[in-house]
Amino acid sequence: MRNLTWIFVALGMILILGGCATKPTDPEQLRIYEQNNDPLEPMNRTIFGFNMAVDRLVLKPAAKGYRTVVPSPVRKGVNNFFNNLKQPVYFVNALLQGEGKAAGQIAGRFAANTFWGFFGIFDTASQMDIPVDKRDFGETLAVWGVENGGPYLVLPILGPSNVRDTAGIGVDSFLAPVDWALRHEPWLVYGVWGVNGFRVREQALDFLDSLERSSTDLYATMRSMYQQNRKKEIDELLKNPNMPESAPAYEFDFPDEFSDDE
Amino acid sequence: MKKLYAFVWALMMLPAVAFAATPAVSFVNQLTDQIIQNVLASDKPKEEKLVEFRKDFTEALDLKSIGQFVLGVYWRKATPSEREAFLTAFMDFTTKTWADRFDMYHGQTIVFTGERESGKNQVYVDSQIQNNPPVEVIWRLREKNGSYRIIDIIVEGVSMAMSYRNEYTSFLQAHGGQVSALTRELETKSREFQFTDSLK
Repeated sequence: MRNLTWIFVALGMILILGGCATKPTDPEQLRIYEQNNDPLEPMNRTIFGFNMAVDRLVLKPAAKGYRTVVPSPVRKGVNNFFNNLKQPVYFVNALLQGEGKAAGQIAGRFAANTFWGFFGIFDTASQMDIPVDKRDFGETLAVWGVENGGPYLVLPILGPSNVRDTAGIGVDSFLAPVDWALRHEPWLVYGVWGVNGFRVREQALDFLDSLERSSTDLYATMRSMYQQNRKKEIDELLKNPNMPESAPAYEFDFPDEFSDDE
Repeated sequence: MKKLYAFVWALMMLPAVAFAATPAVSFVNQLTDQIIQNVLASDKPKEEKLVEFRKDFTEALDLKSIGQFVLGVYWRKATPSEREAFLTAFMDFTTKTWADRFDMYHGQTIVFTGERESGKNQVYVDSQIQNNPPVEVIWRLREKNGSYRIIDIIVEGVSMAMSYRNEYTSFLQAHGGQVSALTRELETKSREFQFTDSLK
């Protein structure tokens, strides 16, 4: 529910800034432009810059502090707890996607971890070999026919997304049981999502640090990674016949590529 | 002696291959075993690990093809000496980038699940890193004169080659298409890596 507010803020910023990239005329550049699928790049880069500043000033230090202060087993318990809270959202999406078996499994995971895992603190389900299965509403929309996620979007705080998945995030946050259970205690809800933010950021510390050190254009790297990874998830879900087992959809496609002139 | 050791190790690792091992799968299997044993799971000092990793990595990668692919349209516009300088900087930097992630290894094993064709003289080798949830890794190989070289590694749908290509294209667009500017940037970032290493 709260996330929805952010999405309106994001949409508002789109309208205000109206930061559209100009479409190139050179055929090679046009191909790159179309592949990036990022007509709002100037605006996205602005929001990305904002996110990086917030990250540098607040999220990253908080995540580092959290890692220093809270011992690893406790952090694992916290991660399990939050993951468990999301299961009802995954469950509803599995049903909406017409995946009864998956829904059953997710319900089983939720039940096992809630009852035997002490309100989700222990991941008992994994010990029982119930696999992790995440299903969001963006995927549900894809199953319903919105296969193309539309242009790339960077959301404030939430980061990389696209138009379809932004709508998905809105619906998913509407489904989140925490927001319902605590709807009369908004500060508690902020607190819960705040802790959630720190623990998610903590998990990404090593990888994002490494990515920051290694990328010559972090914005472009994250865009590429997000788009590829999301495409794989959607392809897998749709069991796309053209894309067996998530083979990437590119060819090493230059005529002089792999020439044997060594 | 080292070969014999690798062979014995390969035999021990046989159960990890869940189906009849083809030459392509054996190639990747041997490489990952080597890297896990000599680098990731080893308690050698970081410098030695880096040397070992660089050696394994350089031998296994088809660097020229990857370099060509990641520069995309800008490869054709670059002069031979610019290409050469880029490939050297790219290799050096990529090795360090990966070495930077050694510490993320926590004893996971890798299981090979299949092999598919991916174009002329090219195959995909499918594998899974045993984690919760498991991580899907696809190795894209190119065969030349009967031996294999890696041209791409695809982790959970994210192709290394494609990611570099998108990143470098974006960098080059912002720098007037100057490959030499990218090479300089990689060299600078590479020196910064040494700096962070010495801090550890």
